[in-house]
Amino acid sequence: MAAAPTAKETRILFRNIDEPELASIRTYKELGGYQSIRKAFLEMAPEEVLKELEESGLRGRGGAGFSMGKKASFLPRGDMDKYLCCNADESEPGAFKDRELMQKNPHQLIEGIIIAARAAGANRCFIFIRGEYDLQGDILDQAVEEAYEAGFLGESVLDTGEQVELVVHRGAGAYICGEETALLDSLEGKRGNPRLKPPFPAVQGLYGGPTLINNVETLSNVPHIVGSGADWFKQFGTEQSPGTKVVSVSGDVRKPGNYEVELGIPTRELIEGLAGGTEERAIKCFFPGGSSAPVLTAEEGLDLPYSFEAMQEAGSMLGSGSIIVCDERTSIVQLALRTAKFYHHESCGKCTPCREGTNWTVKMLERMIRGEATPIDLETIASVQKNITGNCLCVLGDSMAAPVGSMVEKFRPEFEEALEKGVPSLNGRNGGARSGAAESKGRRARREAEHLTDAGRSR
Amino acid sequence: MSQPIRNAVTLVVDGREVVAPEGTMLVDAAKMGDIEIPVFCYEPKLGPPVGACRMCLVEIEGIPKLQTACSTPVRDGMVVYTQTDQVKEAQNAVVEFLLVNHPLDCPVCDKGGECPLQDIAMGWGPGKSRFTDPKRHYQKPLELSPLIAIDRERCILCYRCVRFSQEISEDEQLVLHERGDRSFVGTFDDRPYIAPFHGNVIELCPVGALTSYSYRFRARPWDIEQAGSICTLCPSQCNVAFTVRDERVMRVLARDNKAVDDGWLCDKGRFGYQMLSGSERITEPMVRAGDGSLSPVSWEEAIRMAADGLRKAGPRAAALAGGGTSNEEGFLAQGLMRDALGSGNLDSSPNAPDPQLLSELARPELAAKVSDLDYAGGILVLGADPLHEMPILDLRIRKAVRRNGTRLLVATERPSALDGGAATDAVRYAPGEAIAFIESLAGALGAEGYEASGRYAKDAAAIADALRAIPDSVIVWGERLWRRPGAVKALHDIARALQMHQRIGTGLLEVPEESNARGLREAGFLPETGPGYRTAAAGKGAVQIRDGLASGDLSALLLLGSDPVRNYPGGETWRRALASTFVVAFALTEDESAKHANIVFPAESHAEKEGVVTHPDGRLQRLRRNVPLPSGVRPTWWALAEIAEALGTNVDYGTPEDVFAALCAEVPFYGDTAYEEIGGRGLRWQERDPGSSWVPQPTGGGDGTGVPAYAPPEGEGLVLGTYKDIWAAEATRRNPSLRFLMPTQRLELSAKDAKTLDLANGDPVTVSADGSRLEARVSVRERMRPGAAFLIEGTETDNANLIATGEPRRITVERRPEPETNGSASGGGGNGRARVVATPMPAEGAR
Ligand SMILES: Cc1cc2nc3c(=O)[nH]c(=O)nc-3n(C[C@H](O)[C@H](O)[C@H](O)COP(=O)(O)O)c2cc1C
Ligand code: SF4
Ligand code: SF4
Ligand code: SF4
Ligand code: FES
Repeated sequence: MAAAPTAKETRILFRNIDEPELASIRTYKELGGYQSIRKAFLEMAPEEVLKELEESGLRGRGGAGFSMGKKASFLPRGDMDKYLCCNADESEPGAFKDRELMQKNPHQLIEGIIIAARAAGANRCFIFIRGEYDLQGDILDQAVEEAYEAGFLGESVLDTGEQVELVVHRGAGAYICGEETALLDSLEGKRGNPRLKPPFPAVQGLYGGPTLINNVETLSNVPHIVGSGADWFKQFGTEQSPGTKVVSVSGDVRKPGNYEVELGIPTRELIEGLAGGTEERAIKCFFPGGSSAPVLTAEEGLDLPYSFEAMQEAGSMLGSGSIIVCDERTSIVQLALRTAKFYHHESCGKCTPCREGTNWTVKMLERMIRGEATPIDLETIASVQKNITGNCLCVLGDSMAAPVGSMVEKFRPEFEEALEKGVPSLNGRNGGARSGAAESKGRRARREAEHLTDAGRSR
Repeated sequence: MSQPIRNAVTLVVDGREVVAPEGTMLVDAAKMGDIEIPVFCYEPKLGPPVGACRMCLVEIEGIPKLQTACSTPVRDGMVVYTQTDQVKEAQNAVVEFLLVNHPLDCPVCDKGGECPLQDIAMGWGPGKSRFTDPKRHYQKPLELSPLIAIDRERCILCYRCVRFSQEISEDEQLVLHERGDRSFVGTFDDRPYIAPFHGNVIELCPVGALTSYSYRFRARPWDIEQAGSICTLCPSQCNVAFTVRDERVMRVLARDNKAVDDGWLCDKGRFGYQMLSGSERITEPMVRAGDGSLSPVSWEEAIRMAADGLRKAGPRAAALAGGGTSNEEGFLAQGLMRDALGSGNLDSSPNAPDPQLLSELARPELAAKVSDLDYAGGILVLGADPLHEMPILDLRIRKAVRRNGTRLLVATERPSALDGGAATDAVRYAPGEAIAFIESLAGALGAEGYEASGRYAKDAAAIADALRAIPDSVIVWGERLWRRPGAVKALHDIARALQMHQRIGTGLLEVPEESNARGLREAGFLPETGPGYRTAAAGKGAVQIRDGLASGDLSALLLLGSDPVRNYPGGETWRRALASTFVVAFALTEDESAKHANIVFPAESHAEKEGVVTHPDGRLQRLRRNVPLPSGVRPTWWALAEIAEALGTNVDYGTPEDVFAALCAEVPFYGDTAYEEIGGRGLRWQERDPGSSWVPQPTGGGDGTGVPAYAPPEGEGLVLGTYKDIWAAEATRRNPSLRFLMPTQRLELSAKDAKTLDLANGDPVTVSADGSRLEARVSVRERMRPGAAFLIEGTETDNANLIATGEPRRITVERRPEPETNGSASGGGGNGRARVVATPMPAEGAR
């Protein structure tokens, strides 16, 4: 492996992340927090706040990368109840950035929500947090209470007469509820199924009212943009991907974790620099943007700038900004099955291609691993991915088809080999026992293999 | 709110220019250009599209991704392709995906031959499947309800049934359990799906996943015939199609008519066909011997005997018609009574409408039609409970509230199914006190001659404010308001005060007690009013007929499908009156009243009859013969004409249409309407000349003023009200699959009164009033007015009509010792299949 590239974090959202009491309103304020909210409410008109956000070019950090300010501007003006939902459902394999942002710096998010609410004219806000984030939910509850006490939330924010209410709502553990319209249904107490779009939530969202939905990280950027200005923000990142990004790096790397970097830095710096690279093994492929992103091989991807546009151009996507690294020991067929299983398990079942396509794909891959597949199956797997793509109600179906399709395309020989011989369990990755009895190790490995992110790591 | 006006837009589909109203979904617009786009989940009856099945993907110029045609509204200049390679690939893909988990059941599936999945798979599918893995397996079939079997393997998860339950009937019982390909349809808590409209899901299901136990395995599409008629089991008069095999009705389907039923049926209409070919059906004329037994006679003999008996009674004869009687039959019978016997003693309801008011209310400009409800700004339900009395109206009102934000107001004596949920405001007056409320309301709306004071002044003021604030409201009112003189007059004055006669899309809509009540009135089957609301010689109404028969003043009774013993107040008096009178009955089965008939004629059912009925909103609808008459049965119109002839009148009709022509000649607002013109969709006479400009003539009836003020019944105790329950009907008993729904008597009490009486839900009680008594179980209801109590009319035993007189009266309630159980304590049981739906576990990949 070449020498580790120079690796540098650029911390804006993570600026004070190691401060022990940052989650308390006192520390947050001492370190300069809740200043932007004053500016936004006392010195700026809502339109000015909105304009600042639009000019900053901030793109959504939840997956689709849509301009945050522009989305906020789609909400109709007028007197009706308007809603803001912070999407904290973070359930995509590989993504764990929102968790750290909420756990360690909840007030940054709350301040961002309140300011974004002003920009969008929303008066009722929710944080929809995944049920398993119990600790983070408690921390947010506490922080919201503090913000109410401090007068940042309630009927009259900072005594301006502007109302902003905020409720923390815990999900019940379904990945699909991170999809924005499923999130709305779930929040309304219904089965969490995606809705047909249009109408888009900005026009007809929660309880039929105009609704802005943004990711935790997106909203956490807001106080900084409003505090320091759009021009300041645009110094960071690339023209089309301004700002920094908190990137979750996991898989076969020495130092998995969250790293905040300027968008556009070489991907290699993230993987080999900040995350410490693999344990002297070649990288076979990596997911640049969570498990929904088509995989890139090391040759394709390591030297690409880590930005929305570069990843899209390379046929993948930045998505939620989560990198999962798979080294040379990884069986791609196993990886494909693990990926497909996740989406099969999480498919809501509302639309046909995703419901049946995920199921079918899993069945074929399972057979392939058992060595019971035929060459026709390989064609069929590829064709099923194609038939799912673009034909579903929401993008969950595509989220399986894209990575699985990319694996079949880029690693076809490996699949062909599997047709002949199948794939041995865990592809021999649990061979070199390092500690404990062989039996318990095997069990642990199996348990770990249940999770894609862990499957790539042999501790 | 009025119906939005939609401009026409032009688009191009597969090179063909199509003009469609703005907002039309692409699927429907394409259809206008004769291009079919396949759909599964799309069903506009169910509300906005959900885009779930993905069958309808099409290419639209300028949009890179395929779009669902079911949810894309047309735009001007849109260019659409439904046949490109990209579209075909997607269609093939979706069909292939749908079949991944679909069993190869076609040879044994009821849907086979009329199955959208088969049709679409043939028309738009790839022709073969590449899926070789094991399919999903469920235990099947399971009982979703005592009437419906569910086969979860066949379900393609289109969501239609669930949407119906959640958003149309709002019974909210059906849900999807689990997710992904493990999803399955069931009730929320695994209890049987029991709700009055649930049969509609069978028809909605695009595959054979939902089948009815009564039709399952009894016919295949290639050995049935389908024709259309009208269900006359209630005033909704739904448009139906009967599925006929071997000259027997095997199934009833909806025949979507937006102007009438919106494409839905209630379960009574849907499953109430077994009685048509049941063994209890009367299929030949019979006479009763001295010992009470019936024996068959020839038609000629029966006609002669009937004519003789009636002739003997002459002006002392009377006639009652039931709701299934057609306009032609009503017209013939009133002619027979008036012309041949000189008797004006005719009625079709225990309520006594005022002739002058009746014709005033028939003015076209005061009438609302069913479809006006859709876009009404507000709906006031006054003295009616649509769910029980005119079920389809309940769905229609819910639709208005759900889809168009119509404001719903309810003012009734008994809690209705509409308040609490859909209704924003509900007023509860005491049984019999509708008049007090209505007069206050008239006063609050500034109608002349009324005061805004009284016991219900506050409630009335609130409703008046609401009505004034909403443009274009419709008042849905119950026929029973006629029971208290003055109430309907006040209602009429309210309509005028609200300027209803000067606006379109607003007006009054009556919920009559019987199906063809309106048609019978129009045909002159009323004591003082002849055909066309023209004044006729005086005669007695139902209550006087009862008393006349009991006292011997009247000596003969002709019953046309009417069962006063069961359905009219004072049932016991009716029974006694009939027992001592010469009775001629046309009946389907030997009902409570026909049991006392001296001569029984077999009646035609609504599946067999040719004729016309009038919907409560004035729509003339045609009954068509869908099945041949059972051998031995002859048309009722013919028999009536024969009797009239035997009585010496000169009637000469060759067909029911001849009778209708004669009726039209006497009803000025029908004009010269012919059967042909009424057609399969019906025709509102108000919308055609001369009906549209018809003005009622003064009839010399009272104007309803100067009636004595209402005073509650004297004494102590709860005031009894009675109500119709949708299932307390002859049809429930005569159809084996519905029998489990037959209610047993229950006494509804407010929580407050139950507490005072120390009674709880389910407690057995004896209810008595002036010596008559019956047994019931307590049912504590929410939103009841304290001081009031309710019993069901028409139950099999302990019928409320035993106690009720038509007037509010006080009752005594006493706890009764819990009866010994002897196996069949409750009214349930039914068809013996009423077990709880078991939760199936998907036996994934049967190894
Ligand atoms: C299946 C699925 C799951 C998703 N899960 C999340 C999630 O957990 N968190 C999130 O922020 N966005 C998630 N999204 C993206 C959201 O739909 C939405 O685009 C996002 O919340 C918008 O916020 P942003 O503009 O700030 O990125 C998901 C999308 C899909 C299709
Ligand atoms: S793509 Fe999958 S998750 Fe999304 S609506 Fe369809 S079935 Fe549900
Ligand atoms: S049971 Fe029938 S109607 Fe219901 S979801 Fe399944 S296929 Fe659709
Ligand atoms: S609502 Fe009335 S008319 Fe319609 S199906 Fe039921 S009983 Fe027949
Ligand atoms: S018919 Fe359009 S998605 Fe089902």
